Amino acid sequence: MPKIIFINADGATREVVASTGQSVMEAALAAGVSGIVAECNGAAACATCHCYFDSNAGCTGEIGEHENEMLDFAASERTADSRLSCQVRVVAEMEGMTIRVPSVQ
Amino acid sequence: MSAVPAIADVSYDALLEDPYPIFRRVRDTAPAVFVAAANLTLVTRFDDIMRIERDSATYSSVNPASLVNKVMGPTFMRKDGAEHAAGRKAVEPAFRPGIIKEHWAPKFAAICERLIDKLVEAGEADLYSALAAPMASLSLMEMIGFKEIAWETLALWSQSLIDGAGNYSRDAEIDRKAMEAGAGIDTAIEAVLDHHRAHSNPSILSAMVHADPPMPIEEIRANIKVIIGGGLNEPRDAILTLTLGLLADPDQKESVLAKPELWPTAFEEAVRWISPIGMYPRRVAREVDLSGVTLPEGLQIGLCVGAANRDDRRFADPDRFDIFRAKQSHLAFGAGPHFCAGTWVSRQTVGRIMVPMLFERLANLRLRDDTPPLVRGWVFRGPISLPVRWDA
Ligand code: HEM
Ligand code: FES
Repeated sequence: MPKIIFINADGATREVVASTGQSVMEAALAAGVSGIVAECNGAAACATCHCYFDSNAGCTGEIGEHENEMLDFAASERTADSRLSCQVRVVAEMEGMTIRVPSVQ
Repeated sequence: MSAVPAIADVSYDALLEDPYPIFRRVRDTAPAVFVAAANLTLVTRFDDIMRIERDSATYSSVNPASLVNKVMGPTFMRKDGAEHAAGRKAVEPAFRPGIIKEHWAPKFAAICERLIDKLVEAGEADLYSALAAPMASLSLMEMIGFKEIAWETLALWSQSLIDGAGNYSRDAEIDRKAMEAGAGIDTAIEAVLDHHRAHSNPSILSAMVHADPPMPIEEIRANIKVIIGGGLNEPRDAILTLTLGLLADPDQKESVLAKPELWPTAFEEAVRWISPIGMYPRRVAREVDLSGVTLPEGLQIGLCVGAANRDDRRFADPDRFDIFRAKQSHLAFGAGPHFCAGTWVSRQTVGRIMVPMLFERLANLRLRDDTPPLVRGWVFRGPISLPVRWDA
């Protein structure tokens, strides 16, 4: 049950205790983190769960081909840290990790 | 908790004519209301629909009584969980963002160019039949991977299947037409399937036969029917609704023409304002409390996204077409696992290519004072006639 810190575009932070195995998107929605819309509820089809993860963290898993292309449609700028949070599984190594939520989805 | 209330004093014609006052009344009455004219319990509030779409174990897409299964066959659109995901994944390659940008967008632009070439000199037309219907039909035909079928034929198949799937009064002539359309589609698939097996390409049929494992033929037939029934009207109606919204409000039209980067926003506002799919069904798989109303197991419900997209709890002055409203996500493409597979192809082509091209090529495009546009429908809604003039 790692503790993850979500930081919104306006600087507001939110600590969430997440269950391993669920997606980061699911953990954020369950905790009511604002700024993650997740219209397709995890089907990697809507690009409204876009978040910025530390790309050097080493615990966010491989980016899939479809996810990679879908990120080009995200409403906020895509960076090397961009992921669809529904495609990233919560793992124990995420303890203390910060995830930035973009201003628009 | 209370039982589902009923509304018995609205007619089916009133729903077809203008569902929005009825949607408002339902929304203000209760989270779920049985509307006798529709013979269905309607859910109309934005937050309720969003919650429902995150819980497919309670609100199932599987419905043994649905005519979709009878008319079209076993389709992933009416399945849940892993079975749904497998079918969805099989067609996904045809809807990949990269494929949309590199393959479909230029192809659809060329179709649009040709259709406009044909009508530009006339100076007037009904954009429904002269542009939107052929555009939607020809581009869907390309995406499916059909060859040499008249656009009118695909459009007729689409309408016949839709009518058949809604034929709860079991009208024999409607049934016959739906069967005929189904047979025509099976033949059209048969005619190209070997080609797609031998030559892998971006089309939906190619994706299906090259999926791992390949999609069984009866599922290919059913899913292609669903895509024909559900992938033609919506882009057609979105083209017309966006055009109508702008033509009816010259200030907003001028803004978009002056700032083309506003087109994507204008497209989203059009499908929020008059959502091409106004309602789609779910079945309550186990008794549940929806915001204080008890829904019994087995209840058929209609998720009215056309109503949710005008929910004044979420959208200020919701009946107004306003491209400058505060950005808020809407439900025109549904939500949850069945979130429209065609969302991005529609966004990239209708909103960025087709309608902009229409305004660019048809100078001084305007509505006609003598023949107003007609908008109709509630399950599917859009302009059924959009007579316009331009300077030829
Ligand atoms: C503006 C255009 C469009 C709108 C507003 C729209 C809307 C929708 C909606 C509301 C649903 C959910 C239906 C349900 O859950 O029962 C849906 C599903 C679907 N749409 Fe679209 N659609 C559009 C264009 C397209 C196009 C062009 C295609 C195909 C070429 C398409 C293919 C599909 C498919 C395959 C599904 C089923 C997805 C699933 O069950 O997983 N749509 N669409
Ligand atoms: S929830 Fe839709 S892409 Fe992640």
